Amino acid sequence: MGLKPATNPDVEATSIELSIDGKTVVAKDGVSLYDVISSTGKIIPAMCYHYTFDPFGSCGMCLVMQEGKKAPVRSCTAKATAGMVIRTEGEDLFLARKKAVEKHLSVHPLDCPVCDADGHCELQDMAFQHGVTNLASAKQKFIPEDTRSLVLDFNMNRCIACAECINVCKDVLMIDALQFMKKGGFNQVVAKGDLPLSCEFCGDCLAVCPVGAITNKYSKYLYKPWQMKKTATTCNYCGDGCQLYLETKDSEVIRVTSPLSWKNKWGDREETAKGHGGLCVRGRFGFEYLDSKTRLTQPLVREGNQLVPKPWLEAMHQVVDRFTDVKQKHGADAIAGLITARCTNEELYLFQKLMRTVFGSNHLDSSARYGHMNFVHASRHALGFGRTPNDWEDLTKAKAILVIGSNITETNPLTAVRIKEAIRVYKAQVVVLDSTVTNIGKLASHPFLIKPGTEGWVIDGLVKATIDQDLVDENAISKHPKAYEALKAALANISLEQIATYTGISGDAYREISAIMAEVPRSIFLCAEGIVRRPDGYQNVLKLIDLAWITGKLGQPGCGVNTLTEEPNEQGAVDMGVAPEFLPGQGRYDDTAARDRFSKAWETTLPATATGANLMEILKRCKSGQIKALYVIGENPLATLPASVEVRSALERLELLVVQDPFLTDTGRQAHFVLPACTYAEKEGTFTNLEGRVLRVRQAMDPVGESLPDWHIMTALANALGAQWGYESANDIQTEIMKLLPGYYNLGQPRKVTPAPDQYLTNGYAAEVKTRYRATAPVTDAKRPFALVMGQLLVHSGKMSTEAPGLINIAPNTGKLRMNAGDMQRLGLQEGTKVRVTSERGSLQLGVQPDIAQAPNTCFFPEHFNEPPVKDLMAVQVDAVTGVPSFKHTWVSIEKA
Amino acid sequence: MSVATLTKKILHAALFYEIWDAMKVTFRHMFHRPITFQYPREQRTLPDTHRGALSLLRYDDGRERCVGCDLCEAACPSRCIKVISAEDPTRPLQRYATEFYIDITKCVFCGYCVEACPVNALAMTKMYEFSTHDKRTLLFDKKRLYDIGERHLSDAKKYLYAHNQEKNVEESREYRYYFPQSVLKATQSTPKHLS
Repeated sequence: MGLKPATNPDVEATSIELSIDGKTVVAKDGVSLYDVISSTGKIIPAMCYHYTFDPFGSCGMCLVMQEGKKAPVRSCTAKATAGMVIRTEGEDLFLARKKAVEKHLSVHPLDCPVCDADGHCELQDMAFQHGVTNLASAKQKFIPEDTRSLVLDFNMNRCIACAECINVCKDVLMIDALQFMKKGGFNQVVAKGDLPLSCEFCGDCLAVCPVGAITNKYSKYLYKPWQMKKTATTCNYCGDGCQLYLETKDSEVIRVTSPLSWKNKWGDREETAKGHGGLCVRGRFGFEYLDSKTRLTQPLVREGNQLVPKPWLEAMHQVVDRFTDVKQKHGADAIAGLITARCTNEELYLFQKLMRTVFGSNHLDSSARYGHMNFVHASRHALGFGRTPNDWEDLTKAKAILVIGSNITETNPLTAVRIKEAIRVYKAQVVVLDSTVTNIGKLASHPFLIKPGTEGWVIDGLVKATIDQDLVDENAISKHPKAYEALKAALANISLEQIATYTGISGDAYREISAIMAEVPRSIFLCAEGIVRRPDGYQNVLKLIDLAWITGKLGQPGCGVNTLTEEPNEQGAVDMGVAPEFLPGQGRYDDTAARDRFSKAWETTLPATATGANLMEILKRCKSGQIKALYVIGENPLATLPASVEVRSALERLELLVVQDPFLTDTGRQAHFVLPACTYAEKEGTFTNLEGRVLRVRQAMDPVGESLPDWHIMTALANALGAQWGYESANDIQTEIMKLLPGYYNLGQPRKVTPAPDQYLTNGYAAEVKTRYRATAPVTDAKRPFALVMGQLLVHSGKMSTEAPGLINIAPNTGKLRMNAGDMQRLGLQEGTKVRVTSERGSLQLGVQPDIAQAPNTCFFPEHFNEPPVKDLMAVQVDAVTGVPSFKHTWVSIEKA
Repeated sequence: MSVATLTKKILHAALFYEIWDAMKVTFRHMFHRPITFQYPREQRTLPDTHRGALSLLRYDDGRERCVGCDLCEAACPSRCIKVISAEDPTRPLQRYATEFYIDITKCVFCGYCVEACPVNALAMTKMYEFSTHDKRTLLFDKKRLYDIGERHLSDAKKYLYAHNQEKNVEESREYRYYFPQSVLKATQSTPKHLS
């Protein structure tokens, strides 16, 4: 980004020496002179420059004197070359810069008092610094304000035409939603075609605007920047773990700002060192649920058919009595617990400690079970660690990236920005294999549209093509010739042409993709919801690992098989042992050494190994009456799982259901006790993001109403049940985790993991691989030709984002099925026409709407909404090894109702 | 001690001379014009620069001057001002102060807020009587401040004049901030007051 050194990760740029203000500075050849100067700690003003994109050179502020030139030069567009002699200070430069400020100010309205950027405005700072007091020929623009967009207002009177917004949108985010247009005698920034802005609404244009020309609709006119308390914390929408600043005033969240701003072009740029520091629409505009009116403020206790507010003490006494009662009557195995991966590491750790030591039950699970567990198990089984091996930097510098079954720009937008950077700066080849027309597919060099539900067959084809073309890495397979023979034998009765007909992409395409992935030095495999949330997710991840192994990409720097997580702390939930099969630190629960270590540390005996139940098993046992009490923290299985799982009847059979949540969820309405919990803005803690980085969550405001942090409630519960827990803050829990898992708190720099596949490839690989690759065709049903997929939208995350009015305003629940326009025409449907959708699980009547992202014969409904209950059409298939339920894809028939 | 001084002393003691001497001052003042003001009944004439109660002003057409810019809050050394601003729902793009509080018990009457105000919406008046039974009423809200402004409009204007902030009605128009309109159609003429 910016003027990059004449280099790529493979070739190191030559070092050159130049003199800046009499000091010799060493720099890389070909970088922007401005970057060299600012790396020495000097701050020279620049209003149109930001290092994340190419210099534009319109503001004329970054002037420096170069020896041998008469006039000052613009340092941003100048390239650093050897032997330059540069002067950055002096009376002449000051006057030249002052002239530039006066030029900008002469067409800038002096409306600082009402401007939102007042106090955070580069033009204001520069006018002050250069002492501009009199303007000879000031002119006003009188441009009406563009308020048509849903989240941003464009006041082009204030614009200084620096084009930072346009450049960041086009170059960094590759969205290209803004342009210059000459209107009323002035160059103005308008949305493409002068239409109301309709884009991904990431708001990075707002962040880089050095003046107040682009303003945030949510916080417009409310407060000045200096009035708000700014708290650096971690976003809790997806697994990217973006850093953000929550700006609060008393108990109100006013706005969210990103580390990316016009300010961080100076200094060490530490805030934006990992990535570009921007946010997505969820992070920036989805903060309103934090202080929403619908938040629970008091504990609720069921009295008859109603939930009645009660004081904390009374509610807690009752909860404790009922738990004690259940434990005495039915034993510890009658108690189970579920927790969401939106909780902090400390709370997840405390939860499993509470379940295992206080309740004495090993029936516990987290929402990582909905998909991430497939990846963790596969990776642990094959390579010995249960997380992604690559970080964002590896993604940026990859030469080839295979994205399979992932709508990455929608689910994890900021990881997608890393891939965009790889495409743009390092010219990476990106292969996208998906059954929908994804955004990343439009940017990729090799986009392929596959038939829905055939991701597994696609990987078969890739492995087959690699072996057929002899693209295997000799070093990798020579260590395990037997395993390779077994793999070859397993694939012997699979033909590429057959797979091509199953999956809808040609055999040549397979050959091309496998050649790309095998031949480049750094290739990354990325699989997400299309693999891990679908049937055979575990096996498909293992197949990808096979592919990485035979192409020699296991353990190579910058290579590996990765996944994306939907919730912020799914990785943390696994690492903290919130699963019946894991102890903290991913030790197996039946591993005697690990058990001894933790039972000694916790001064108790752990529950027996054989009994632990995971999510689906817990629900099954609730239904059969084996489990009598369920403790649910932030989870909402009733609204998530299809009706065929019969969650409602399972919950109704419970003697005690305690739900702890910031909101009254569907599951909460069934509960006997609802305890109000805090959101991430009201507590301290850490999240572990998808790279394995542990990121701080800081308290930005006081808890809403009487709500309490989850760890606080759990500690109180444990102490009332007879434990002696002395945690007074999240920090105390952190100290305990630090002792038990040394090195887990990695301060933003995860330990590099090295895959150890030897064990896996030598022991029982042959038997495993025989069943993994099958020559059977994908199941199709002539009566149900359409694939119905439920997935995530860019604007939403889980059910939580639906509590944020701002996000609902951008993407409301249309209640309509999204279909391919061609299909709609074929069936004679208009937008809004009611159709009957029938799957093997039932049928439903709902409207349709065209969606350009849908391929022919597929349709889509966002998983965030249950109105109408499309999720109930889904069949649930539980993975035999990992217990992951998959219910995001089914076959349906569509006819006019 | 001589006989004369002794006699004098005895005479003074017998006739209560010290008392008569002291009463002389008292009796003399009975015929003077009084120096003190009989405060509640009599009021002092104050200079125009007097820094009394703060007030909020309106333009001649009745519009609130205040644009809710919070600069007074930033300038206040005793942190007694609180401004909450928002967009006027009836007139889009118009910023105004929804709430405006001045805790007059904390105010040190320095006048910095008046100096900071870019639209001369704040001014000080000659009102200085704050005594009340309820201390809570000394937290002046927006309505109270506008009331004071209305009641003491001439004093407020004199204050601004005396402090070289605003000269006359004509010049005060220059301080007025006109908000932009929103885009309604592709080409639209500039509003009247701007042309």
